[in-house]
Amino acid sequence: MTVTVDVAALRIAERIASTIDPVFAMIDDWRTRLEASLAAMPEPSAASFDPVVAELVGEPLERAGSLITGAGFVAAPGYLADAPWHLEWWLSGANTFGTGAGLRRLDAVSDPDSEQFRDYTGLEWWRVPARTGTRHLTGPYVDYLCTDDYTVTITVPVAVGGTMVGLVGTDLYVASLERELLPVLRESGHPCTLVNASGRIVTSTDPRRATGALLRLDGLAEALAPLREREGAASAESAELPGGAIVVPCGDTSLALVFEA
Amino acid sequence: MPQATGRADATHAVVFSPLDGAGRAELVEQRLTDAIVAGVLRDGERLPSESELAKRLGVAVVTAREALVALRDKGLVLTRRGRDGGSFVTHDRDAAARMLDARVRALSRIELRDLSLHYAAIAGMAAEVAADRASDDDLTSLADIDARADLTSAGGARRAIGRFQLEIAAVSQSPRLVHEELRLQAEAGPLLWLCMREQAYRDRSRQARLEVIEAIRAVDATGARRATTDHIATAVEWLIDEKARLEASPLAVAE
Repeated sequence: MTVTVDVAALRIAERIASTIDPVFAMIDDWRTRLEASLAAMPEPSAASFDPVVAELVGEPLERAGSLITGAGFVAAPGYLADAPWHLEWWLSGANTFGTGAGLRRLDAVSDPDSEQFRDYTGLEWWRVPARTGTRHLTGPYVDYLCTDDYTVTITVPVAVGGTMVGLVGTDLYVASLERELLPVLRESGHPCTLVNASGRIVTSTDPRRATGALLRLDGLAEALAPLREREGAASAESAELPGGAIVVPCGDTSLALVFEA
Repeated sequence: MPQATGRADATHAVVFSPLDGAGRAELVEQRLTDAIVAGVLRDGERLPSESELAKRLGVAVVTAREALVALRDKGLVLTRRGRDGGSFVTHDRDAAARMLDARVRALSRIELRDLSLHYAAIAGMAAEVAADRASDDDLTSLADIDARADLTSAGGARRAIGRFQLEIAAVSQSPRLVHEELRLQAEAGPLLWLCMREQAYRDRSRQARLEVIEAIRAVDATGARRATTDHIATAVEWLIDEKARLEASPLAVAE
């Protein structure tokens, strides 16, 4: 079904996408470089690969006004010769997790026998891109394993010789995203809510629409289904819900704007 | 005198009460004791060095040292010198049980009930909000945690409760509720779930999980809260009863 959507609404959706696109482009660039670096290593190990990752993500994390608060590489179990479970994940100085200050590496539990160990391959940010082979935006969610805050995580598989050997990604605080995106939403002049592909609210101009809650509108799940199925692919079409609300996908971000009547 | 009199002064005093100083070593000691008793830190595990511990907890090195000395005096930690030296947890299951019993005796009924009420406020609210905010994926992971629960031991049953409650808090999408849940699990968990020593209570914990999952599936916020707080209420009733049993035992008289 094709619906006629206000030009202003489309423009707002485009601007939401253009705020997040640079982050996607940056991760894609990291992936290309990391894949080249890994392909050149006879026996990839954490000892030789960690400095490559640190070099790559350190500067963008520390850049003033950066949207991202964490970034790095997570290895497929057993891929790195010297570290069966491995997270090379860096936190920016703005990240409030733990007591450390400044750019620092996440102190992850990599011993499978430890009580605190969590098999990350079961988590959404690993599970979904591993299945689809493409980028995935996880959240908003409370990341109690890593940043300890309300977070969006974007992850992309890293492959060598056609096999996924890990993934590269980044964390963004939902609060920072909201600071960037809410002024754009307000320009529409209509009550307007930004949701992820599961219908979870990222931010809204409507005070009754709380970030983190599910937007429950008739037909919304169906309207968002293409975003879940074709994440990272060309954008889906706008749709009108039975109640009169208009759903406008934001480019290839997997997010959508919902304009309520 | 009306209860409200002096209220403003009291809240004012709280704002300007010292953030550190006295009591910090005790807080560190209690945190580590709880972790050891709960089995998070395991028998034989090496603790971080004094300076590392101080850095991680954000306290002075002398404070960390003081806490370690107290743990040594309690017999929970052993310090070895030399190249492979350091502080190690020395705590087997019997010692853990004795220590927990001592805590049940030391806390008053009022304190035990208040602790469980505080925990019920957090866990109940998390369940209520989670019922509204859970996606299908969230329901799958809650069911998965339940399916992996090991109900054959007290520790297994307690860990399953901890995991499940933490996930519920995460599903509520509130960083604060997650934080409080984790903090209270460390503080109240080992005491509150002592009833997991009995198989009937482990089975009851499974039943409570299933009720919560069903309520969340039905987007029944009240039902999810009720199932959570009822479960905590049965646990504290067992605990109060256990306290009476311990107090009636000869060991308690001897102390």
